[in-house]
Amino acid sequence: MKRKDLILNLIGEISNYLLDDDPMRLVISLHQEEDGLHLCILDDTKHSEDELESMKKALNSRKRPELAEYYGAMTGHDMLGSARLDLLGWQIKHSDVTQSDSGIKIDLWFGSEKFQSDKFSIPVKD
Amino acid sequence: MILLFIITAFAVDGSGAIKGFWTIQLHPGRLINDFFAVVGIGGTLLNSAAVGLVAMILIYITGVSFSGPTFAAVFTIMGFGLFGKTPLNILPIILGVYLSARLVGKGLRDYLIIALFGTALGPLVSVVFLETGLPLWQGLILGVLSGTAAGFILPALAVAMLHMHQGYSLYNMGLTCGFLALFAASFLKAAGLPFEKALAWHSENILLLQLIIPILSLMLIGSGIFFSGKKAFKSFVLIQKLSGRLPSDFVDMEGTGGSLVNAGVMGLAGTIIVFLAGADFNGPVIGGLLTIMGFAAFGTNLRNSWSVVAGVMVSTFVFGMKLSDPGPILAVIFSTTLGPLAGQFGYIPGFFAGFIHLIMVSQTGSWQGGMNLYNNGFAGGLTASVFIAVIQWYRNNKNDM
Repeated sequence: MKRKDLILNLIGEISNYLLDDDPMRLVISLHQEEDGLHLCILDDTKHSEDELESMKKALNSRKRPELAEYYGAMTGHDMLGSARLDLLGWQIKHSDVTQSDSGIKIDLWFGSEKFQSDKFSIPVKD
Repeated sequence: MILLFIITAFAVDGSGAIKGFWTIQLHPGRLINDFFAVVGIGGTLLNSAAVGLVAMILIYITGVSFSGPTFAAVFTIMGFGLFGKTPLNILPIILGVYLSARLVGKGLRDYLIIALFGTALGPLVSVVFLETGLPLWQGLILGVLSGTAAGFILPALAVAMLHMHQGYSLYNMGLTCGFLALFAASFLKAAGLPFEKALAWHSENILLLQLIIPILSLMLIGSGIFFSGKKAFKSFVLIQKLSGRLPSDFVDMEGTGGSLVNAGVMGLAGTIIVFLAGADFNGPVIGGLLTIMGFAAFGTNLRNSWSVVAGVMVSTFVFGMKLSDPGPILAVIFSTTLGPLAGQFGYIPGFFAGFIHLIMVSQTGSWQGGMNLYNNGFAGGLTASVFIAVIQWYRNNKNDM
């Protein structure tokens, strides 16, 4: 899959999920490097702890290559019905989900086997 | 289950099971050819075990975990090993999918689900091999090439079909293989192949065949309790709340125990319906029940299935068909492919989808010359696509700004 298509699909699915809660603000930031990319998504909706846990579980689900290649093609395309974060989880390398004062912050890291999200060149603020 | 089938095969037919097995390899398995009617119990069970073994070996060598989709695939393949699939006619399809994966720099594990379910096109290999009138070796080579070519384009088609119904028909490879078989059948018909209707249907009441599914179902429920204890029933209840839309791996979502209990319950429910309908327990019916049991770990549950099944039953009565006849009883069992529609949009759409499904499935078999074994998947996929198109159009055009 072309990188551009992949990014569009990832953004489509995660936006679909967050827009269900009708946020007034949704920010999507993309940073690309040669062998990986980072998507940061912020909204202004309060999410319950249970929802946060289920999001973390879905986005960091075990890798399923047999499902990612085939059913993963539905990511960001098929918007009829609930958004499905597990479709993303099978494809991304790592994700962080944190609750902020105003809403939620989701970090999605995608890359090749060589790509290390913790060595990504965006400086991490304490 | 593989071991159970092998032991039963030899216990029933002794060495005759091997003879029956070889006979099946040289039988065109187009729909509906019940291998029980062709060679008896032993050879048929051995063939089912053999195709199941091929699937298990593939799962093992690709390193894919045994979970919902693989559980569904093994049960489905073994089910259709009773009426259509043979080791000989499924291997070229798998080879084609493998070559396709290699072409785009992927491995077989990435397309394993497509390869396993794509074996629905096995009869295409058999038809070219055995029904074209070519000399044996020429037919074999051409059959293998046809199957490989079909397998090669399956991944591309499978994804396109998935977008059509958006995961609301569980047997997506049925729609995919049906679509491809349409072209293959048209080509072969143009080449002069008559495609005479096949119907080999075993209708003798044999206790062993009536007991296979109930025993297996109870074993699955027992295994579920063994794995998860009381939690298995809690998981089973939670599974009933899921829509089942593809890809819903119940094993991942709610655990192994609940999925096994769900598989057992679906098997028992299916058995009761077949008994009440007065239908035969033979290759296609047992194969169908094995399929819904497999998909009970990957999208099928009682809650999303009952309204669709009810729709098929009402349709049967409205159109003056007999529920115990081959077409209607198979439609009742396999209509559960439309479960996710009911699971997501409610019982009324589910009911009407089932109603239409019966009408569609009675036509689609002849369109594709019986070469796509998942004919109900073909009809179900078409039905789901229409429903989804209408629902999506309505939602997209209803102004909510």
